[in-house]
Amino acid sequence: MKGPDVVWYLAVAAFLFSTGALGVLIRRSPLIVLLSLEIMLNGANLALIAFARQHGRGDGQIFALAVMAVAASEVVVGLGLIVAMARRRLDLDVDKLRTLRG
Amino acid sequence: MIAAAWICLVAPLGAAVAITVAGQRLSRRGAGYLATASVGISFVAALVSFSVLLGDPPHDRSHPSTLWRWLTAGPYHFDLRILVDPLSVFMMLVVAGVGCLIVAYSIGYMDGDDEERRYFAYMALFVFSMLLLVQGGNLLMLLAGWGLVGLSSYLLIGFWHDRPSAIAAAKKAFVMNAIGDATMALALFLLIQRTGSLDFEVVFPRGASFGGWAANLIALGLLGGAVAKSAQLPLQTWLPDAMEGPTPVSALIHAATMVTAGVYLIVRTHALFEAAPRVQELAAGLGAATLLLAGLIALVQTDIKRVIAYSTMSQIGYMFLGAGLGAYANGMFHLMTHAFFKALLFMAAGIVIHALADEQDLRRMGGLRRFLPRTYWAFLVGALALAGVPPFAGFFSKDSILAAALAHGWYGQILWVAGMVGAFLTGLYTFRMLFMAFWGEPSAFVREHFHALRRDVVGVSLAVPVAVLTVLAALGGWLQFAGIWTPVSDWLDPVAPALVEASGLQEAISSLLAVLLGVAGIGAAWWIYGARRAKAPKAQPLLERKFYFDELYDVLFYRPAVLCARGLLALVEQPLVFGSVSGIAEAVRGLGSGTRGLQTGLVRTYALAIAASLAVATVVFVAVR
Repeated sequence: MKGPDVVWYLAVAAFLFSTGALGVLIRRSPLIVLLSLEIMLNGANLALIAFARQHGRGDGQIFALAVMAVAASEVVVGLGLIVAMARRRLDLDVDKLRTLRG
Repeated sequence: MIAAAWICLVAPLGAAVAITVAGQRLSRRGAGYLATASVGISFVAALVSFSVLLGDPPHDRSHPSTLWRWLTAGPYHFDLRILVDPLSVFMMLVVAGVGCLIVAYSIGYMDGDDEERRYFAYMALFVFSMLLLVQGGNLLMLLAGWGLVGLSSYLLIGFWHDRPSAIAAAKKAFVMNAIGDATMALALFLLIQRTGSLDFEVVFPRGASFGGWAANLIALGLLGGAVAKSAQLPLQTWLPDAMEGPTPVSALIHAATMVTAGVYLIVRTHALFEAAPRVQELAAGLGAATLLLAGLIALVQTDIKRVIAYSTMSQIGYMFLGAGLGAYANGMFHLMTHAFFKALLFMAAGIVIHALADEQDLRRMGGLRRFLPRTYWAFLVGALALAGVPPFAGFFSKDSILAAALAHGWYGQILWVAGMVGAFLTGLYTFRMLFMAFWGEPSAFVREHFHALRRDVVGVSLAVPVAVLTVLAALGGWLQFAGIWTPVSDWLDPVAPALVEASGLQEAISSLLAVLLGVAGIGAAWWIYGARRAKAPKAQPLLERKFYFDELYDVLFYRPAVLCARGLLALVEQPLVFGSVSGIAEAVRGLGSGTRGLQTGLVRTYALAIAASLAVATVVFVAVR
């Protein structure tokens, strides 16, 4: 097998995932939260593909493709929601959307 | 003969169903005619059965007939079957014969009532139930008839359902009878457990083999049913209240037929009672106690129907006395003559009530002899028969019971004394009623309210049955003359052989004394109420309150039951039932308000919770592995 060791790929994947998770937890703009989510997903995808390459099997790659499809749909829904919020002139701040408080 | 017996049974049922189904298509009068005709058919069919049975040799007069298998329960099975034997034919004749006269009388008495059709449907249903009771070929059929007569009695007591007192009386009768039904059902369960059957010919021969406690319990259970149905001590309180029903109902159900079912039961199951002699003696003792008690209470009643009702209880006491001492045929003979003269008294009283615009209070009557001369004579015959004056019916039957009591040893002799006192009381209360209603000057009330009977169908339907019963009450007793001429005893002997046989001397002593005491009672009544030579003694509260039985049962059963219910409500229902339901709701609500704080509505706290849980899960996963 050519190329760098799988650990490097995993390190990059973990970095991407953590960056995304931090973004989700810290940022308040729904748009940024959505972007951070995508970064998390891509981190996970990278790990999947890295393992697939290491084991020489295609399962992980197919799985990554499925994740991309889900991510694309999720972005459609999420962006739609954000546009709807903007149209209603609501603040684009996830902390202010607390209608479901118990 | 079997076919005739079945026709006898189902004809009134057919009439009841037809009247119910036809509804408005049948005229009110037509419903009355139909009911009368159906009971008449029953009577003719009973006569046919009787005449065919007469042709059989005396030891071969028992003919069961099974229609089909009714119930199967495991190894036990019960057939829909009737039994035609001398006892059931005897009862069929009495029930259908007197019933036919009384239903015919009802056409006139109920004329103009709002719900005549319902009345006649109930009456036909009653006659069917009573025939089922006496014709039933096993104890289960008997119990079915027993329950059905209770039901039709309930329906007819409460016939005027807009009167609260009638509804209360109907409920009281039903509850009192239900107690007896329950003890009877328990006795039948025990019988099934012992013999595996309820058929007469299987159960009765084995009566002696049950052994002490089982035989006693069975007989006690049956006795419980008998005293409830026949209004004997201690379940007697319902009968006077049952007078709330229409007068023909009182005549048919609460004098002539249903209330004598207890006597029939004792005679029918005499083998079971003879296996428990103490219980049989108890039946006789209860009868004697009831005849005294009811005779005393009848002395102070002011409602004409209630006087007759107490007299009915008292006379059934005589029958119980006879049946309990083993003088079965004498008891049954008294049942028959009593059906004649008591139905006569009720129906004559019904004419009085009818003529006085539904007034039943003896104190407002008086001098009716002048207004209703023929009714007066009918009533007089009935009263003489009831008081046991020869040659009227009651003399022959009552005195033969007393003679049998005298022949039964020391226990019988004690009861004999009670019966003698009862004979005096009978004469006194009967003629007190007669003198108060018919003698003296007409009261202002009578002058104002009296209206003569109509001369159309109504008047005829009232008069003819009374006339027929007057003849029967006058002559019916000659059917059997103790010691000389005993067709009734001979007829019933194959079914229920008598345990005691009175000698001629005992017969003579009993008859003489009973007649003397009865006449003394009549004389006392004449002295006080007829000639008014002496002031009527003040009514004792003990008698007016009917020996406080209602009050006693109120304190013993009703109030504890209410207290118990209240206690259960406070101690069980409220804390446990309501408490558990509302407690569960409270707990769920508390849990909810406790955990609602977790639901912040902030998306980022959820995300943090997920991330933190994931981190913890990862650490645990790695560390534990």
